[in-house]
Amino acid sequence: MKRNIAVLGLIIVVIAALLWAGIHNGRQRKLAIEQQQQQQQAVLVAQSKTTAAAQQAEEDTMPDYRGKPAPGFTLTALDGKKISLADYKGKAVLVNFWATWCAPCKIEMPWLVEFDKKYSVQGLETVGIVGDVAPKDEIEKITQKLGVNYPVLLADRKVGSAYGVDGYPASFFIGRDGKVVEQISGLDTDNGKDVIEADIKKALASGGQ
Amino acid sequence: MGRGQTHTRTILSAIFVLTCLAYIVHAQTNLSTAKGKAFVSYSAEPVIIAAGKQTIVPLRFHTLSGYHINSHTPRQDYLIATELTLQPASGIQIGKLDYPAGKPYSFAFDPQEKLDVYTGDFTVSARIIAPKGTYTLLGTLHYQACDNAACYPPKTLPIALPITAK
Repeated sequence: MKRNIAVLGLIIVVIAALLWAGIHNGRQRKLAIEQQQQQQQAVLVAQSKTTAAAQQAEEDTMPDYRGKPAPGFTLTALDGKKISLADYKGKAVLVNFWATWCAPCKIEMPWLVEFDKKYSVQGLETVGIVGDVAPKDEIEKITQKLGVNYPVLLADRKVGSAYGVDGYPASFFIGRDGKVVEQISGLDTDNGKDVIEADIKKALASGGQ
Repeated sequence: MGRGQTHTRTILSAIFVLTCLAYIVHAQTNLSTAKGKAFVSYSAEPVIIAAGKQTIVPLRFHTLSGYHINSHTPRQDYLIATELTLQPASGIQIGKLDYPAGKPYSFAFDPQEKLDVYTGDFTVSARIIAPKGTYTLLGTLHYQACDNAACYPPKTLPIALPITAK
């Protein structure tokens, strides 16, 4: 009988210790996450000139595709045509991911229209990939309003994750050899237009034929 | 059955219970660090309300520093509004939800466009009538976040509100 009581007592002590350890562990983890977030916020303040999108990329370690072959895709355009990345073999391609609810995207899309007109003679192809599930007519309304003159493709479930896109806008500059030359996540609020143009030039110059 | 067998059974039962407990504790700690960026967090504060009487219950949320989400009534129709949904629960009446007013915000690259957003802490209030008892009201907060340069796909934050009606 005494031995049973002793075993029961031991069990209660061990359970209490386990529960305490679990709660303590949980609190420590929560504290560590909060500290990490505070540190990240401190970085945000210290580097206010850096775009938050770049910080987001750091936090989430967005894959760096530079120097690697661009993931292939075949998607349906707004006009119903199937378009593949492979269709643009030998050309420089700007792949721009955007969403209908993304205000920064709508700022840079007219720049892409301008650059497409300017550099298409040199072999630039611009492709927009819309990453949300908005109705087609709503997407068309936006592209018409912004004067988009390049193909806009409807994303499938794979293409966004193949490119590691977790926010919009996101652009990939692909050289003539099919390798990613540069990538941009978010809109550079200071000199975004210049950065995009410089990256287009890099893509046009890369993997020359 | 001998005393030895009884002890063995007690010890085996204890080991089983401890193993289960260890698994639960481990699972809970892992859940708390599940991967995936959330831009809004929810403070699950248990509330005590008067049974049978309509009570305004606050649900407190926090938007991660450096980010904003659209308010419940964004000015632009292409933006995704913040929307709280509480699941119907047996015996509980959920009335009107009161959302806070948004704050004016403009992206640096487009100062002309005025947005209506939530940043930092914000509270949505729910009018609830519950009979005597304890409940956990479940729901979701649907929102779409942006920082100063990019926007992120809409997210759905699950919430659980512990209520005691006395």
